[in-house]
Amino acid sequence: MPLTVAIIGNPNTGKSTLFNALTGLQVRVGNFPGVTVEKKIGRIKGTAQPIDLVDLPGTYSLSPRSLDEMVSVNVLLGRQTDVGKVDAVVCILDASNLERNFYLACQVLDLGLPTVIVLNMFDVASTRGVRIDIPALSKKLGVQVVATSAHRKEGLDALKAAIASAVPNGPGTRPHPFPETFYSECHQLASKLAGLCRSDAPSFLVERALLDVGGYLETEWLDDDNAAEQWRTALVEARTRLKDAGCRVPAIEAKARYAWAKQTLAEITTIPSARAETLSDRMDRVLTHRFAGLLIFAVLMVVVFQAIFSWAEPLMGWCEAGQSAASGFVASQLPPGTLRSLLTDGVVAGVGGVLVFLPQIGMLFLFIALLEDCGYLARAAFLMDKVMSKFGLNGKSFVPLMTSHACAIPGIMATRVIEDRRARLATILVAPLMSCSARLPVYTLFISLFVSDSPLLGLRGARQGLTLFAMYALGITAAALVAAVLRKTIFHSETPPFVMELPAYKWPSPWIVFSRVWDRMMAFVTRAGTLIFAAAIVVWAGSFFPGDHSQEFEKQRLIEAAEPIKSDLLLQEARTVEALDKLNQRISHAAWENATERDDILKLTASTQTELAKLKAKLKPFEDASDEVNHMRASLVEQSFLGWLGHLIEPIVKPLGWDWKIGVGTLLSFPARELVVTNLGIIYGLGQDVDESDQQLWSTIREAKWPDGRPVYGVPVALSIMVFFSLCAQCAATLMTIRRETNSWRWPLVTFSYMTSLAYLAALVTYQVAIRI
Amino acid sequence: MENIVPLELMAAGEVGHVVQVDGSPEVVHRLAEMGLREQVRVMMVQPGRPCIVAVGDHRLSLRMDEKAEIFVALTMDA
Ligand SMILES: Nc1nc2c(ncn2[C@@H]2O[C@H](COP(=O)(O)OP(=O)(O)O)[C@@H](O)[C@H]2O)c(=O)[nH]1
Ligand SMILES: [Mg+2]
Repeated sequence: MPLTVAIIGNPNTGKSTLFNALTGLQVRVGNFPGVTVEKKIGRIKGTAQPIDLVDLPGTYSLSPRSLDEMVSVNVLLGRQTDVGKVDAVVCILDASNLERNFYLACQVLDLGLPTVIVLNMFDVASTRGVRIDIPALSKKLGVQVVATSAHRKEGLDALKAAIASAVPNGPGTRPHPFPETFYSECHQLASKLAGLCRSDAPSFLVERALLDVGGYLETEWLDDDNAAEQWRTALVEARTRLKDAGCRVPAIEAKARYAWAKQTLAEITTIPSARAETLSDRMDRVLTHRFAGLLIFAVLMVVVFQAIFSWAEPLMGWCEAGQSAASGFVASQLPPGTLRSLLTDGVVAGVGGVLVFLPQIGMLFLFIALLEDCGYLARAAFLMDKVMSKFGLNGKSFVPLMTSHACAIPGIMATRVIEDRRARLATILVAPLMSCSARLPVYTLFISLFVSDSPLLGLRGARQGLTLFAMYALGITAAALVAAVLRKTIFHSETPPFVMELPAYKWPSPWIVFSRVWDRMMAFVTRAGTLIFAAAIVVWAGSFFPGDHSQEFEKQRLIEAAEPIKSDLLLQEARTVEALDKLNQRISHAAWENATERDDILKLTASTQTELAKLKAKLKPFEDASDEVNHMRASLVEQSFLGWLGHLIEPIVKPLGWDWKIGVGTLLSFPARELVVTNLGIIYGLGQDVDESDQQLWSTIREAKWPDGRPVYGVPVALSIMVFFSLCAQCAATLMTIRRETNSWRWPLVTFSYMTSLAYLAALVTYQVAIRI
Repeated sequence: MENIVPLELMAAGEVGHVVQVDGSPEVVHRLAEMGLREQVRVMMVQPGRPCIVAVGDHRLSLRMDEKAEIFVALTMDA
């Protein structure tokens, strides 16, 4: 049986670094069931007895305010069934700030488990001149104390040895920091509780229930309403009695535990009194300056986004190439038919369409991890707090919302840093309004089609650039307004005070950066991949059935059988065109010696022209055949389930200026909004090989007509489509992520409904206004 | 004599110790966990909303609301 050892510590004490150094890459990452807390378990390398290390979220204390925080406590108490009994706990403290970290150590020692105290950041403490008498501390606490410098892998062997011998050593001395009246109240409460739920609760939980006013153990612990009410009353009464005895809850906890910390550390540490201004302080003077800081921040953001778009481009090109290679391979292995259609149009197109964004996401996370690990991200949150607090959010919402410009999925996952539940939910709900990279293909297509590139103020493409900017601004504005409304209504609460630690600046550690980027990319691939895979198949089936595709496949088979002939003809055509070009050049330069040569050249030109015409005529049936297949596909789509649906919804989308094709194209892009480009291609009967730079799609779209002959598209329709896609919730993966992160179907449903309504109304207004001016 | 001011009113570089933390029990508890509690020595690094204060070797960024307030007894130099 492997030992199970939990690891806990304040944020930024080097928990992850130690965890990685001890376990290497043998890590299993998952979720604790029912909550948003990540479960990370790794096997320690090189110990005689196997030891599993369970990473718990970084925390300043063990007081559970929510179900999420309750998980750590449950794991430590052996109440979390999927982890089992915890044999020992490793508590990581920042040696350079020991007294404050001792608050958590005091709580951990109160658990009565075999414990190892780790004094990490020992290098930092030593350079600051902090001296700690480790043997004396160990003796006083009754547990082993180990000094480490995790990032240099110093002290790891001693730590492993200490963990291995922690269980036989047994638990340490209980701190017993509270006055006796407190413990006698706990004792009474414990018997009260035993009566209420007929089971014994660990004394630690009873103490926590008494201490955490409004915490999880007070409000949500007991299922039975009647019992819960009695329990709350008992707690309130106990607190009143304690208050009368001069021991106010919860102030007593900080008082008692810090007093214990001070007393314990009194003769053990020496801390140099003079504290000079650090390099971090000097950097902060510039980087958090109210003007200079904001300016640097703005420049940095521009550079980051520019880099994401330009550096990721070639990588995305490879992904696309890989995707078409995969389609090509399937097509070469299978005859036209249902299976091939499923694989190429459903699986490869659907999954590939999402994987294309992997380079951008990787790049974004690389920047975020770098900025986070060097300590800058906390400063960015600090700078943005001024703006965010006006909309009822706080500085911690900034990183998630910035991330959402690449993709809302990692953005929503990044909201975990926001402790205030209502602020976190509000951030999650508005994050999908940010213009993510999947909107770009839609914007690009319609802007290049309908926005003129004639110069504005002498700048070529300025109109197009401005339109694109307007789309991004629309998302941000909508998010700010929605957040403000949410915080005034369903998420109404006092904006709680904003407290955030600003860690000292330092060089980012490559390993931490790498593992964060890797984790996030893998999460994206598996989560988005599995869902998109399923959704793509459903959409494909909806547009494929119930039509009879036998004729289409037959035709396609003929076309492919004749492919060698066609490519041969195309080659000849290309050569002839080239020859003709050369001849024409000679004619235009009058490059001949005498009249006979001139006549020869003219004759040759004439015969080449006829030859070209002949080749073109021979190629015509092939093109006609392709057109015919595309038409068949288009009419099959019209007869499919989705076509039927499209006609059903036409009255709804008509006020937006859309025909049923745009309507169903939009509906089809529910799994991922960028699918709309492909969908319009399929529906307009061009075959599936369409991207936003495709000339043919452009002209077909420009020429599309209503049955009465009016053109479907124009600037108002293009604008209405862009506005719709900028605000809509067409991304199943995002909705699934919201469901995972909030652990309820309610919030994805709310997000979907409000975003779709908002998108519809905004598109309606856009269209109705645009056709009138 | 002690000069007591709300933490937000401290000027850059001013030093003092916290004498009182007001606010809902939850908030007071949270602040205490992060090291901001009675008796601790604080230094205003950058005033404003939010401000940056030094608490021991840590830097905290802080924005209080109407219901929460930290009072600091300024340490008089010279
Ligand atoms: N100087 C020093 N830095 C460390 C030490 N341990 C970790 N770090 C750095 O501190 C930062 C925070 O570490 P991390 O493991 O992410 O902390 P966590 O938040 O507790 O998981 C990282 O950049 C580490 O490289 C140490 O012992 N000494
Ligand atoms: Mg960590």
